[in-house]
Amino acid sequence: MPKRSRMSRALVRRETTAGYLFLLPSLFFFITFVLVPMFICIYTSFFDSNMGKDTQDVFIGFNNYKELLGDEIFLGALKNTLIIVVVSVPTVCIFSLWVASAIYDMKPALTSIYRVIFYLPVVTGSVAVTVVWKWMFNNYYGIFNYLSQGVGLTNQNINWLGDARYALWCIILILFTTSVGQPIVLYVSALGNVDQTLVEAAEVDGATNTQVFWKIKWPQIMPTTLYILVITTINSFQCFALIQLLTSGGPNHSTDTIMYYIYYTAFKLYRYGYGNAMGVVLMILIAILSAVQFRLGKSKS
Amino acid sequence: MKKLLALLLVLCMIFALAACSTDPGTESEAPAGEDVAITLWTYPIGGWGNSETVKTLTDKFEAANPGIKVNVEYLDYTNGDDQVNTAIEGKKAPDLIMEGPERLVANWGAKGYMVDLADLWDDTDKNEVIPSVVSACFNAEGKCYEYPVCMTAHCMAINLDAFKKAGADQYLDLENLTWTTEGFINAVKALKEAGYENVAAVYCGGQGGDQGTRAIVNNLYSGTFTNAEHTAYTADSAENVKALELLKELDGVNFDASIVGGDEINLFRQGVLQMAFCWNIGAQTNVDNGNEVGKTNNGEEIVCMAFPSDDGKAELCGGIWGFGIFDNGDAAKIDAAKKFIKYMADGEGTADAVKASTYFAVRDTAEGNDLTKIYADDPVRTEYTKLMPLLGDYYQVVPGWAEARTAWWNMLQQIGSGTDVSTAVAEFVATANAAAGA
Repeated sequence: MPKRSRMSRALVRRETTAGYLFLLPSLFFFITFVLVPMFICIYTSFFDSNMGKDTQDVFIGFNNYKELLGDEIFLGALKNTLIIVVVSVPTVCIFSLWVASAIYDMKPALTSIYRVIFYLPVVTGSVAVTVVWKWMFNNYYGIFNYLSQGVGLTNQNINWLGDARYALWCIILILFTTSVGQPIVLYVSALGNVDQTLVEAAEVDGATNTQVFWKIKWPQIMPTTLYILVITTINSFQCFALIQLLTSGGPNHSTDTIMYYIYYTAFKLYRYGYGNAMGVVLMILIAILSAVQFRLGKSKS
Repeated sequence: MKKLLALLLVLCMIFALAACSTDPGTESEAPAGEDVAITLWTYPIGGWGNSETVKTLTDKFEAANPGIKVNVEYLDYTNGDDQVNTAIEGKKAPDLIMEGPERLVANWGAKGYMVDLADLWDDTDKNEVIPSVVSACFNAEGKCYEYPVCMTAHCMAINLDAFKKAGADQYLDLENLTWTTEGFINAVKALKEAGYENVAAVYCGGQGGDQGTRAIVNNLYSGTFTNAEHTAYTADSAENVKALELLKELDGVNFDASIVGGDEINLFRQGVLQMAFCWNIGAQTNVDNGNEVGKTNNGEEIVCMAFPSDDGKAELCGGIWGFGIFDNGDAAKIDAAKKFIKYMADGEGTADAVKASTYFAVRDTAEGNDLTKIYADDPVRTEYTKLMPLLGDYYQVVPGWAEARTAWWNMLQQIGSGTDVSTAVAEFVATANAAAGA
């Protein structure tokens, strides 16, 4: 027995060592590009850190955070970010679940075609996608103005991206089209993996399609739903490229998001400490929301 | 097998760590007498944004200066500042950079990142270069952070065919390329009545081209952007408020937050707009859309004009471009960079360097080479020289310029969204002056 125990311990040690070695590359990148910058971000947020060769960073405690509370532009950016999250996350989840439900049991070739169509905006470069949308929204020759006037909806051009009433909703629409691809592919896969014996048993017992969906399929795709919720929430919070390329936060800060305002503060105003404080607030918000989603998902499943 | 795999992974990790931990200081020191490689980052200043054009220039420099190699990287005005700032913070700033005093002197120079180039100037140089250009390249303490190469006066442009069709050409002094504020108002009205839906656009999406919007505002009623000492912003003057109110009221002039300066130029070239506030000789001679020089995409004639002014004395915003050196602590590279500057800005390469920029020389001669006739066979540039005497005060060296620039766009957006002009302008000036420490 002792000999066998020693052997198995040696085996476990070897396998554990190998496991850690396999983890090392990812761990290295995770520590270097996630953990270390995160701690630097938190550390810098307590300093009045600016650009300048001879400028010394001055420790100011929580002053950056106090300033955030009175910064109307930041509060506006926070509001816009929350609007994007609140609108985007449910619509992306519901729409992708609806599309996936409709296409997952089609002929494989047809399902693949739909998957490609919905996934195209994801794999297309965000700059290219944004440029096309910018053309479509153009105030002078955009297709949306052309169509809306053609069908008599409007009698003059609407400045979609230059008018504070519409700009944020245009951003949300574009974000929606670039966000649904991955959830659809994931849902198609998850629905395809639902245990068919349970579905058939429920049908034999007289369950309706709605009952089959909510009682049999929905619980089985819950982990996928949870993943999609978390990823979409994080992506919505981090909406930056669209804003930078389309509106630069304008008009009049109406499309500022926290991510864009962090960039603006750090790169345009050179206030690194203040920008980092915003980054910490964003991190906390995302962490809280993700934790809530995980908790809800866990209790439901 | 597992042992081998684990060993390989460990080796990979060690290699990666070693690669990441290379000391940047050890690779930059070049012993005297050996080759020195310097890096030039350039914004798209005419042909200085074109790699083929620049290679011709650097090849000639390298042939004349054996032992110095110039590597060039190209920036754009959308992301260029971010790239430079990131490089500065990462201790990877280029050795040389080509841009204007608002960045080199008022921003990076003021923050202590640039090398003082005062030793490149002797009395002859100071006499050869236009005084206002010399003044823009030096700060208040007498340190020089930019050695100038070329310049232009930024103007506006009108579609002459459209003006003629609307009968609005009567308001233009085509001989002197000037017009009055009253003529501008009448021209906009005439064009609008002739069916031109979008006569002009006060583009305020951000980024480049801000000089055009400032110039139209400042010229209409002779307002100023800063005080004469370049220490405080004065854009909230009654003249500027009146000008902004006029632009807001004029039917046919759009405050458009969805377009930037480059978009305005494209819309003008496409015939959508009949005036462009963001214009200069570079735009006038641009043929990227298959158009002829000085023509819109559909062949209509473009005329460069001074901005309209109430007293008939327009003051145009200047564009000055030249070289600055980042202080990367390597004397050999700084020395090589200075040789490059001397060659391009005051030496045998100056004529080519200026021509490559498509703009005008800041001096008449460079080390005995006559620069006054480099465009002698170019009628478009010869015509444009009528506008050069209208060059106004180069105020872009006022402190806090980077923040003021972004606040300016926001102010225009506010006005476009319906905010009271006086309120928006007062907020802008408060923000800009706070940034300037005034």
